[in-house]
Amino acid sequence: MKHILALIVALFTTLTAPAQQLDFGDRTSATITSKAWGAMNAKNYPDAAAYAQECVKMYEKQAVEMQKQLKEPVPNTDKEAVSKLWALNDVGTRLFIAGQALEKLEKKPEALAAYKKLVETLPFAQCWDPQGWFWKPADGAKGRVKALEFDSLK
Amino acid sequence: MACSTVLIVSSAAASEVKVSKNDQGHFVLLRDGAPYLIRGAGGWSHLALLKEHGGNSIRTWGIETLELPVDGKRVIDRCAELGITVAAGIYVGHERHGFDYSDPAQINRQREAVRAAVRKYKDHPALLVWGLGNEMEGPTSDGRDPRIWKELNELAAIVKAEDPHHPVMTVIAGAAPTKVQGILAHYPNIDILGVNAYSGGGGAATAVKAAGWRKPFVLSEFGPSGHWEVPKTLWGAPIEPSSRDKAAAYYSTQKTLIEDAADISLGSYCFVWGQKQETTSTWYGMFLKTGEKLPQVDAMCRAWTDQWPKNRCPRVSRFDSELKEAVFAPGQLCTVRAEATDPDGDELKWEWTVTAESTDLKVGGDQEAEPPSFPEAIVLAEKNQVVIRTPAKPGNYRVFAIVRDGKGGASAENLCFRIEAKPPPPQ
Repeated sequence: MKHILALIVALFTTLTAPAQQLDFGDRTSATITSKAWGAMNAKNYPDAAAYAQECVKMYEKQAVEMQKQLKEPVPNTDKEAVSKLWALNDVGTRLFIAGQALEKLEKKPEALAAYKKLVETLPFAQCWDPQGWFWKPADGAKGRVKALEFDSLK
Repeated sequence: MACSTVLIVSSAAASEVKVSKNDQGHFVLLRDGAPYLIRGAGGWSHLALLKEHGGNSIRTWGIETLELPVDGKRVIDRCAELGITVAAGIYVGHERHGFDYSDPAQINRQREAVRAAVRKYKDHPALLVWGLGNEMEGPTSDGRDPRIWKELNELAAIVKAEDPHHPVMTVIAGAAPTKVQGILAHYPNIDILGVNAYSGGGGAATAVKAAGWRKPFVLSEFGPSGHWEVPKTLWGAPIEPSSRDKAAAYYSTQKTLIEDAADISLGSYCFVWGQKQETTSTWYGMFLKTGEKLPQVDAMCRAWTDQWPKNRCPRVSRFDSELKEAVFAPGQLCTVRAEATDPDGDELKWEWTVTAESTDLKVGGDQEAEPPSFPEAIVLAEKNQVVIRTPAKPGNYRVFAIVRDGKGGASAENLCFRIEAKPPPPQ
């Protein structure tokens, strides 16, 4: 766990410089999320990771609080109940985006750290898929952890 | 000789397979009373290799497949000989192929076809479960139309009446809650829900549970990210994951399923144990057309057995070019470079091909034609490096690199490029 935290700190330190130059709009979680996805889709991975980091920094405390109040994930069929957990969902999604962006930047240890933090601290976060359902970023992160570990097997 | 083999196989006792719960309250498949975890693959070729790599079951999509010849025998007999079980697919009509679920005549014909299929194979020792339908709701359907679920319920009743000893699995495309809820509401005769899921494969069991599913589950197809799930070039060509990414995706999905869904999962079938043209010639196939296995096979071996196979596929560490996802004018000379190593130290041989981007694109895995290739585009191929003269005709293309170890292992990569008479200036 210590190792993961150190890597997360390293990740955030690495990304501080570009983050200062980014436009965070009204700084709401939703706006930053949308900017992170936008940067990711535009293959601007440093910005995607930096937006994600900023959102995590701003809303992590609330996200962890929301996670602590849950014993199991809110049913993904109850859109309203899922959406009420906005900080949990947004921060969880952002950690997943950070992991994806860091993989593209070939920063595998930092990507692993982001994924593991998501799996360990925000497992019930959910993200709306435009196809019509919620998915869990932690499930995706768990898969990426295994994939990265497999790729490093000798 | 063939006749005597059939007699031997047919005289073996039919298995009794049922779904039960173990001491922990987890669903398990019991085959002749013993717990049976499906370590499966979709397809019917390379069966001995499946066994050698730790697999124990195949999945087919249409009942006629069981009669196809493989290694000189019928598929189902060869499976029995190798100790491989079969999730025997029975085709159920798709509306996109013209089936009309409002037409009583078509419905009756289909019911009789299902009955005949079950009668023919129900006593075969290789039979594990019935795969009643595959994505018959349509890959883009939201599953809200109850007609198909209700008819599946009728068909499952026919299967069970004919054969009470093998469970009925029905396979849907993706884990959309509306589909799961449609099945829950209208299809109580189902024993096992199969879900085909690619980038979301590892989470499919969790997703169906969240949608209210409480019966057994099989991940009935999984593999690399699907061509509809990946980033695209500026001209809309889906970018195929690298061979290493694909192998890692198979491994992680299988491992995640085992860890996260032990309560409802009876196992999985990776896709596809063979070769298939779908978007490209290498996207979903775990083998090349020439028969060599790809790293996805080694990944499944590792996931199934925690061991590497005796011979491993080459591992590509670099594949790049100025052509990659770029637009060029006709007649330009470009270089593509690759690097690979072989874990067993085997000597590697490279093959380079330029093909058109496929235009015969279908949905739901329907058969597609291979696009033409352009051997004249290869100006100079030197092992892991090739010089290409870009094709004269504007259009979308791919460069494929295949590296073989000469011992049945290979890796395949490709990149997309586009030819325009007057390409935009480089940015």
